[in-house]
Amino acid sequence: MTDYAKKRFLVIDDQPQARDALRTVAQTLGAFAVEFASNYQDAIYRIRNNTPDIILCDYMLGDGRSGQQLLEELRRFKLLLDETIFMMVTGEQSYEQVVSAVELVPDDYIIKPFSPDKLLLRLERIVAKKNFFADYYQQKRKEEFSLAIALLEQKRNSEGGRPYRFEILRQQAEVLLASGDSNAAEVAYRDILESHDFPWARAGVARALHKQNRLTEAREEIDRAISGTPHFFDAADLKATICMAQGEHAEAQKVLDEVAKKTPRNYMRKRLLAEAATLNGDVETARTAMAEVIAGDTMPGAVSAEDRLALARSHVNANDKISGERVLVSMRESEVQNMNLAEQASFAALMAICSPEKGKPRFTGLRPALLATELGITARLDVMRAALSVADNELADLHTEHLMAGPEAKKTFGSIRSQYALYGREKDFREIQKQVALKRIRHEEVAPAASAENGIESS
Amino acid sequence: MHRLLDILASGIHDTKNQLFSAESLVAASEAEQQIDLSEVRYAIESAANRLSRTLAAYQLMRHGAQLAIVPVIVPDLCAEVALAQKHHLANSGITLTIDCQALDDWPLDRDLVTDMLNNAVQNAGRVARREIRLSAFEQGNELVLRVEDDGPGFSTIPPAGGTGLIVAEKLAELHVRQHRHGSLKLSNGGALGGACFELRLP
Repeated sequence: MTDYAKKRFLVIDDQPQARDALRTVAQTLGAFAVEFASNYQDAIYRIRNNTPDIILCDYMLGDGRSGQQLLEELRRFKLLLDETIFMMVTGEQSYEQVVSAVELVPDDYIIKPFSPDKLLLRLERIVAKKNFFADYYQQKRKEEFSLAIALLEQKRNSEGGRPYRFEILRQQAEVLLASGDSNAAEVAYRDILESHDFPWARAGVARALHKQNRLTEAREEIDRAISGTPHFFDAADLKATICMAQGEHAEAQKVLDEVAKKTPRNYMRKRLLAEAATLNGDVETARTAMAEVIAGDTMPGAVSAEDRLALARSHVNANDKISGERVLVSMRESEVQNMNLAEQASFAALMAICSPEKGKPRFTGLRPALLATELGITARLDVMRAALSVADNELADLHTEHLMAGPEAKKTFGSIRSQYALYGREKDFREIQKQVALKRIRHEEVAPAASAENGIESS
Repeated sequence: MHRLLDILASGIHDTKNQLFSAESLVAASEAEQQIDLSEVRYAIESAANRLSRTLAAYQLMRHGAQLAIVPVIVPDLCAEVALAQKHHLANSGITLTIDCQALDDWPLDRDLVTDMLNNAVQNAGRVARREIRLSAFEQGNELVLRVEDDGPGFSTIPPAGGTGLIVAEKLAELHVRQHRHGSLKLSNGGALGGACFELRLP
């Protein structure tokens, strides 16, 4: 049996009485070191600074946040090692509904009331599972994906792996997706669905299809995953992302609006909502959401230069250039220097739009780099827009062509068209669109296997 | 009409939190004073389970229930029932034996199935003479979970006045896998000569 005297426990609960009860139970197991966290922020601080071995976390944390949100954030920011035990504690039967649906799950959950013996049984079981997967966790952490997959394959065929058949399949699918092999990940998730229709596996299929840019199919799968699983908030995020890629920005915003109301302090989701609202032309919602992110996301280091740029962009969209400029000038020069090229491009572009006087020199200075470098779509949109505003048509058209030829053409189509319209260049835009389409047709005559779905023809 | 359900659920949630405080205090006293108060803890947990079961039954009858299916390691499921019931039964001179031949994980609603088995064992405990057996095995493409006792058996099948049984049957049927449904069967003359409760899950 595990020696719990040597393990460091962290009990997370906002209710003092419940904390005491959990500590008592842990001490009955022989635990010596039991720390407390009384809120979300405190929990993150303690886990970052001195990772415990065993976390007992109540599902209801108060203050608009849940243990599930904490778990998701810890996993996403890689603050939780696979070796750390995370046990959700809950008086709510309904948490079982959450666990059965979502992709990010705790090692186990236990329903109150429970005896120390029952907790012990559950913990021993998790320890056994962690031992079984120990070598795999190491390779996964090192991102040695093919080794990790080989280890899983070996475990799948072993006698010791029999109790973990589903866990092995699930890990295989996740690693394949993380390694970038979305075709194999799709097959792996479909294998799981053959056995049982788990919402998380269906969402996995949708994720893999989205990566392959098979948007219509991805949308069908995510809609199926969501129906009947109102607790599966991450699936709503994925649905919104797919909708945006399809150019259905109103639907994306609607989905996110609904879920964001239920999770008012999930700032990742709020960022996504701001993005959807921006694309949907709802400038005020975007502005409010980004302002809330910057004021409220207290995860250390969570508010990035990208977030400030997004806030400035939302002001620009609302035609409030003064507020946009204020956000941009509040960024220190050292911060700007530390940005990657895409962010620097956005910064210069937004500044040129907000204050041509201050911004134009920097934007013009970057021009050679902007002509020569590949940028992400957000930066390209900013550059296109600034270029139009300073009448640099060559630069604007270049980025527009890239955007229209890329896989995210549907997502950006509306934004680009409205910018060209603003400067009376609709005809030029249609010409670029035509050229891109012609190039694609020529390309497809050479390589007819190319995917047909990423085109703009249906836009 | 979900508001009434929310009120009930929240009241039950608070009660279970308080029961947990009570149980942890009892456990602390046991450790401190080296005494056995497991019957007190058993009573606390039974009360909490009863509350949960009532809520689940209400929800099922009123709104229709949705299961929460997760892969469950069958030997672990049996071990939990044993942990919950064995000691209590031993106090009345009844032995609970576990015979688990199913070694794989199986997709099922863990809390509901655990509760059904706990309930079946408790019922058997009222009539058993000396032994109750919980067995688990795979047959065809079904998981069979069986609770048998050496008591007199059911006087009628189905037993009279069993709302709990109707709920249990519905919950068993809600387990669906590739169009195959779960089922519940009661019979007499099982391996120990008494009643036999059999849950089959696809």
